[in-house]
Amino acid sequence: MVYYLIICRSLTYAQRTAQVLERVGIPGWVQRSPKLISKEGCGYCVRIPERRLTDALTVLRRENMAPKQVFLQAADGEYSEVKS
Amino acid sequence: MIYLDSAATTLEKPGAVPRASAWAMTHLASPGRGGHAPGMGAAKLMYQMREQAARLFGVSDPERVVLTCNATHGLNIAIHSLVRPGGTVVISGYEHNAVTRPLYAIPGVKVKEAAGPLFDSDGVYAAFEREVTADVDAVVCNHVSNVFGFIQPVERIAQLCRARGVPLIVDASQSAGTLSVDLEGWGASFVAMPGHKGLYGPQGTGLLLCGGDARPLLYGGTGSLSARQDMPDFLPDRLEAGTHNVCGAAGLLAGMKFVSRTGAVRIHRHEQALARRMMDRLERVPGVSVFRGGENQSGLCSMTIGGMDCEEMGEALARRGIAVRAGLHCAPLAHQTAGTQDTGTVRLSFSAFNRQDQVDRAAAVIRELAGTAKQ
Repeated sequence: MVYYLIICRSLTYAQRTAQVLERVGIPGWVQRSPKLISKEGCGYCVRIPERRLTDALTVLRRENMAPKQVFLQAADGEYSEVKS
Repeated sequence: MIYLDSAATTLEKPGAVPRASAWAMTHLASPGRGGHAPGMGAAKLMYQMREQAARLFGVSDPERVVLTCNATHGLNIAIHSLVRPGGTVVISGYEHNAVTRPLYAIPGVKVKEAAGPLFDSDGVYAAFEREVTADVDAVVCNHVSNVFGFIQPVERIAQLCRARGVPLIVDASQSAGTLSVDLEGWGASFVAMPGHKGLYGPQGTGLLLCGGDARPLLYGGTGSLSARQDMPDFLPDRLEAGTHNVCGAAGLLAGMKFVSRTGAVRIHRHEQALARRMMDRLERVPGVSVFRGGENQSGLCSMTIGGMDCEEMGEALARRGIAVRAGLHCAPLAHQTAGTQDTGTVRLSFSAFNRQDQVDRAAAVIRELAGTAKQ
């Protein structure tokens, strides 16, 4: 499976992000940010299905919650940053 | 026992409060410290608690709800965020030591008192109008006096502060859970409150609602940006170093749900009615002086008894199974303003769980004790 990881500044912010997405029917799972992409140390992100990224970014921008960074988690486990 | 000391701590809690705290003790771990189920369960609970508080107290963003140890902790953060050595602060004449001591501890702070007569809302407001000038760094005011139940005109004071561009800190220790507390409506920089009084949570909990930038009082791990040595610049992490009191937060959430379900206005009316019933009875007792306001008095009653030390009265009532608070109530300034610094008062304060028959029983015992006072 391929996912997008929306990197959040804090756990509470990640929870709020997931809540905003869920309100419009986009499933979001709060999880720890992988160490490889979490350059400043511990952090949390919201994982969303691949096909919902565009909708998610639109909703988050509308709520003034534009993400810090977004990563693609490929099926082989590799991460690559995507322009959000 | 008849417990009439809810202005200090509500003792009888909704059943869900101890159940929630006990459950959290063995089922929830540390929020923000792991991705496992007990950690994420704790994170979910903390977020629910912040959301519940945000709904109750006019905060649009749950991140601006910070869990503290008590109201004093929150007030210390707020004061240290806004007041620098040598600064100028305006406070009301009814402040608690939770405000005056942190101010006293900052070198060179000039404290101006906006003191008006007891239960004179217009007089208090006029005093703030005089004292709040452009050079003032912050205004600190309690919503309700913990000694007399005087509801201060906070909405008007907030409006004044907004108009004059002065940051406002509100101590909602005696109003959270009974009166409308509205961080964003007031435009306040901070509102601090305890969890263990009118919100029916456990001791060791409190909330700080942040309308402005805050400086940490504690430094340490937050579970975020851990590769950096400076504290995160975002809330709530900036003010929540170290492991959270998750068990306390669980109880506090249950307490806030109780307040929400019951209705703060209903609780306020109930407590106010009990206080008035008590005052009606005590005013008929020879030698007893009751400090009585009108609609601007919350659900508590303060009194003195001629010829009897207030602490002796408190002790005598305790021996008869009636729990009250006597003395200066950690608020010598309020007593000074009201002219009771030499005598102190006996304070009887109520909660949603007190009943009329308890008021009548306590009043009867006070009448009996007052009869033994030296005249």
